[in-house]
Amino acid sequence: MTRRQMPFLFLLAGVACHKDAVAPPPPPTCSQTSLLDTVPIAPNYGIHDMFVRDGIAFVFAWNSGVLIYDVGNGVKGGLPLCPVLISSLVTSASGISGGPAVHNGWWFWNPNTNEKKYLFIGQEGPAIGGIGVGSAGLIHVVDVSDLSNPHEVAYFHKAGTDSTGTHNFWMDEQKQILYAAYYNGGVVALDVSATLSGDLSSRLIDSLRIGGKGNTYTWGVHLYNGSLYAIDMLSGLWQLNANSGALSIAGGGNNESARYSSDCWVFGGYAYSGTWDWIRRTSQSGAMLKVWQLGGTGAPAPVDSIITPSISAVSDVEVSSNGKVVMFSAEGGTNSGLYFYSLTNPAHPTFLAYYPVSAGLHTATFGYINGNVYAFAARNPGSPALMIWDVTSLVQ
Amino acid sequence: MRLTLVAALCAATVPAGVCAQSGSSPPWIRLAGEAIPVLTGTNAVPGGAATAEARLVQPVLMVQAGALADRVRLDAMADLEGWTIPNGELTAGAYGEGFYDRRHPHTYVHELMVTLPDVLRDLGGPAGLALAAGKGFAPFGTDDPMGRPPMLYPVNHHLSQLLERAVAVAALRTARDHVTIEGGLFNGDEPEYPSEWPNWTRFGDSWSVRLTVAPAAGLEWQGSRAHVHSPEHRPGAGTDAEKWSTSLRWERGPRYGLLEWAQTSEAGGLYVFHTLLAEGAWRIGRHRPYLRLERTERPEEQRVSDDEFRSARPHLDNSIVGATRWSIGTIGYGYGAPVAAGRLTVQPTIEAAIARVARVGGGLFDPAVFYGRRTLYSISFGVRIDWGMAGHRMGHYAGAPMPPGMAMPGMEHQVSEAR
Repeated sequence: MTRRQMPFLFLLAGVACHKDAVAPPPPPTCSQTSLLDTVPIAPNYGIHDMFVRDGIAFVFAWNSGVLIYDVGNGVKGGLPLCPVLISSLVTSASGISGGPAVHNGWWFWNPNTNEKKYLFIGQEGPAIGGIGVGSAGLIHVVDVSDLSNPHEVAYFHKAGTDSTGTHNFWMDEQKQILYAAYYNGGVVALDVSATLSGDLSSRLIDSLRIGGKGNTYTWGVHLYNGSLYAIDMLSGLWQLNANSGALSIAGGGNNESARYSSDCWVFGGYAYSGTWDWIRRTSQSGAMLKVWQLGGTGAPAPVDSIITPSISAVSDVEVSSNGKVVMFSAEGGTNSGLYFYSLTNPAHPTFLAYYPVSAGLHTATFGYINGNVYAFAARNPGSPALMIWDVTSLVQ
Repeated sequence: MRLTLVAALCAATVPAGVCAQSGSSPPWIRLAGEAIPVLTGTNAVPGGAATAEARLVQPVLMVQAGALADRVRLDAMADLEGWTIPNGELTAGAYGEGFYDRRHPHTYVHELMVTLPDVLRDLGGPAGLALAAGKGFAPFGTDDPMGRPPMLYPVNHHLSQLLERAVAVAALRTARDHVTIEGGLFNGDEPEYPSEWPNWTRFGDSWSVRLTVAPAAGLEWQGSRAHVHSPEHRPGAGTDAEKWSTSLRWERGPRYGLLEWAQTSEAGGLYVFHTLLAEGAWRIGRHRPYLRLERTERPEEQRVSDDEFRSARPHLDNSIVGATRWSIGTIGYGYGAPVAAGRLTVQPTIEAAIARVARVGGGLFDPAVFYGRRTLYSISFGVRIDWGMAGHRMGHYAGAPMPPGMAMPGMEHQVSEAR
């Protein structure tokens, strides 16, 4: 070979040597889900979560704030097929870098007063030091007694020597206690009884870093059968005593070391948790839905797992209210989309349906509207959107 | 894309020697180009494997032109990396625009700037004022790595340069160009793929200034500051970056040296990344050894399941999973030889680098898990094919025209120009 030939050799090699990884075939799709509507959301990062109740969908759209849609309530003539925007509100940034960062919420129906006045909103500020280390963001309280005129009335900031910020919620509505996952802050219990106004720091009942400092990054909480289950990215699934908001460890914990945990849902004596594998904790690929059986004391023990290849996270998990189906959203790979598994045998879910969404879905939730069941999901940027499927035939 | 085709057509039909550069009255045009076929092997690969790839990198075609007695100048460069390295170039430690350990391809229209190099020329004053606008470099930091001796980019490219923006630059310089101060307005968003143009609606949401002092021939100090709004989220919802840079550059005869420091602070100071880099080259006849030492911190972001060289783009809000510090030593040697009657310079080059990766602070990202090791290597063999790329330090639109025959640092080649 002469020197003159060398460049051409490299050119040929450049064409020939590229080798793409062979992706596994995508799961089979199922026609039992029908996409009803796709509602574009401003790419201000986009849509992160939804809370659907009584035909009203609260869409948590980052720096675009909370968008309130009629999706079958009737107040604005909206339907799942055709959501109608009622109003919107951008909550305060509260000095958090990155802005309002409206991430999640819970519409509080108070059974003691029959009020439907307050919407709690989680602000997901920057992960200080990185995901798994620090966090920032407040809980904002919005008065939605007039859905067409929401306005912010109160806030909660967890004080402490290190910065912490909120993530997903669960409410004990009967006891008027809001439980909030607080990432490196663990779990927070907040008294939300009576009128809420201004700084709610005095309403803090208790907080608990479930895995200890450096081993706590709590994603979500779920109240079930008298226990509060907390899923932690670093330390796995925990069972907590939550006697009127006083938090203590009852069982579980440090039970998922191969992967980082994500969301969790508890139903019928079982818990279903996802994993977050945007960065691999070990060499294991794909992401996992993990099935836990709750023992006599309610302590979780793993009984099964389902690996989905070519995704980076099982990003949200929910069981239908009749316990027949577990649904999860998936993002970060060619198999991203919405998955449904049958819980005919709740210990060993079996595949039902998959709806591919190439951009990935960040979260998903069921909505029960006028006798039908719908799946609401948050499609990721670049073209973020609220997606709505009719899954009645799948779930019932 | 059309510009690329036009440039390619021109390059194919106009012999380099016919293209002319002139500082006098007649309009002039000058064509140039470069490409590097390179074979790189490295173990900076997710999962602990090693890999090797051959690619054609930095394939560029440049057009420079002047008119109206050099009162108006054009700097245009087409970059074909979107075709030749759509999945990036294996480069240990490189990051940016959704790539990790692969240097991203640049946009097809890499540079398209119109410059009025000396607006005050007819007034005869002691100072010069230049105005420039188009798509190109913001006045910040050091020279683009494409015009520097090593073949593979340093880690700090996204800390030390701001490029491929819709930018307007004003520059004031003293007589003999001893002191130049430049200010620029531009769009903060960086490209997401090679055919993407800047988000014009965001023009002016970011700014930069650079002070350059050249106290002696070949010696140059610069200090820069920039505010970049939402660089990694094109619609503008991302956090801002505050950037600082200072460097000392020396080039005289066959010797070239650069010492630079830069810092980028993101999200109101929640994330701060530093870089310190020193490099030098020495031309001895046709031989050109060079050395680069670098210590740079980089953010680690969520990786996509199917390709862990890529991070999620667009971002899904919080995406930083830690930070790492890359300490890299790079050594290289090139042998330059003119070919095609001096119109081309062909420079076979071998380059090796060894890197030590360490975690900075906490976070989920552990290089020992991700790479299976903390010490990484890279070795490359390439041939730099250069067709008259001399004299163009990208990102310096506002200074006096480059002296003819000025070479890229440490390189030996003939400039394809004629009056």
